[in-house]
Parts: sequence; structure tokens; C-alpha cells
Amino acid sequence: MTPMIDVVFQLLIYFLVTIQPHDVIAHLDVFRPSPEQTREQPQTPPKMIRVAVYADGYAINDRPVSLQQLDRLLTKLAALDRSQTILIMCTALSPHGRLVQVLDLCAKAGLNNLSVISTN
Amino acid sequence: MPLKRKKSRGGEEGGINMTPMIDVVFQMIIFFVTTAELERTSVDMTIKLALAPHGPAVEKKDPRTIVVDVDRKGRIKIARVRFSLPALKSVMRKAVAQYGQTIPVVIRGDAATKHEDIKRVMDACTAAGLWRVKFAAIKDAAAPVSN
Repeated sequence: MTPMIDVVFQLLIYFLVTIQPHDVIAHLDVFRPSPEQTREQPQTPPKMIRVAVYADGYAINDRPVSLQQLDRLLTKLAALDRSQTILIMCTALSPHGRLVQVLDLCAKAGLNNLSVISTN
Repeated sequence: MPLKRKKSRGGEEGGINMTPMIDVVFQMIIFFVTTAELERTSVDMTIKLALAPHGPAVEKKDPRTIVVDVDRKGRIKIARVRFSLPALKSVMRKAVAQYGQTIPVVIRGDAATKHEDIKRVMDACTAAGLWRVKFAAIKDAAAPVSN
């Protein structure tokens, strides 16, 4: 038995040292309007919640908000109706991480009808 | 004496030979470890995904999923091979022709990528008729993220 135990210990130590832990990946679902659709109706329906993502901040229905305020507002909105459409307007120059942050807040609030459109 | 011998013989022959089982188990462990490594190398590891601690974890993996990497300079890669935008479009069109429009597309965008680069990929998806677009993000970081 002794040689086998030696080998098993060696293997165990080898794997402990070499294996890097895996990140758990989340997939954030979004709806994307087709390009033709956005061309036909440039203005959005008024009853929709619009979240704008800029390179330096966020706005909800044209009102600038911080990330914490956005979180609170989205949680309140989700309490009313979870399947309402949230229109996320993302400017071309804002980093992708910010959009993911907003999508994460929506996921946290339980909102599942998210539309992402790009603006300039 | 004869009684003692009987006992010891019974102990030797009744036991199961463990050696082949141990061999097979080791082979399996090594197989799974190496295939897990392979799966991990098929995506661009230089991309630092954004954090989404509340996002839904990946539950089932559709084998038809197209994983598109977009690094911080806006370069588009699939399985570490760089694609130009027209090439990406033709790949997507081919995928649609083969499997239909229900193929999920996972965009692995770096947190620092500009949205216009992500938008280009999304537009390529919608132009091909793919509507299941998802963004990959890190739910639980295994190692502390250094930003």
C-alpha cells in the first residue's frame, strides 16, 4: 500500500497547487430590437421606463441618478410590475461594465423584460 | 493448524482485487481534469468580465451557443480566433441557416469595452435574425478581482 499512498499524495498536492478556482458565470438576458424596427419608430412609447447609461452616469426617465438611487427605484418599480418593459438606452462611448451593472440591478429587482438600444 | 490455514486462505480469496479499480478511477480523474482544462482554454482569458452578483447563473448550456469575445479594444474573437465584422456576420448567417434562429449568442465583453463595439456584435446578431443575446458576467469571482 505504501507506494500507492505516496503517489496519491503527490497527485493530490500537484492538483491542489495547479488548479485555479473557476469563476461562476452569469448570463444576463436582453432583448434587442431589430435594426429596422428602431429606424421606423425613433421615439419610444411614453409609458415605458427608460434607463439611460452614459459614460459618466445614469439617468432614469431623463432624471440623472446615482447607482444606489437607480437600485432603489428599480426595486420599487419591480414591486409594482415585474414584467414591465425596461428600456435601457446605452450611449456608444459608455463602457460595457456600466451596462452590465444596470442589467445586474434589473436582475436583482427581478425585472425580466429588458430591452437594450444604443444611442449616440 | 489446519483450522488456522483455512481461515487465512478464506481471507485472501474472498477479498476483491482493488488494483484495477484504482487504475480506472485514476484514469477517469485525469481524463476529467484535462477535459476541463480544454474547455477553459476555448475562450479568451484576457477579458475581464464585469461583475453581476445578482445575475442568474448559467443553468443549462445549449451546445449550439455562439460565444463571442469582445476585448477592450473592440476586437471580436470566437474561440480565440479573430473575426472581422463581415466575417462574423457570415458566420452567424451560416449558423442560422444550419440551426435556425433560436441559437443563443453569449457576448463576453470586457468591462472596459466601449458600448459601440458591443453594439456592432449585437447588430450582427440581429441582422442574422438571432434574438437570444446574452451578456456574460462574473457572478462569484473565485479569485479577488484586481481593478
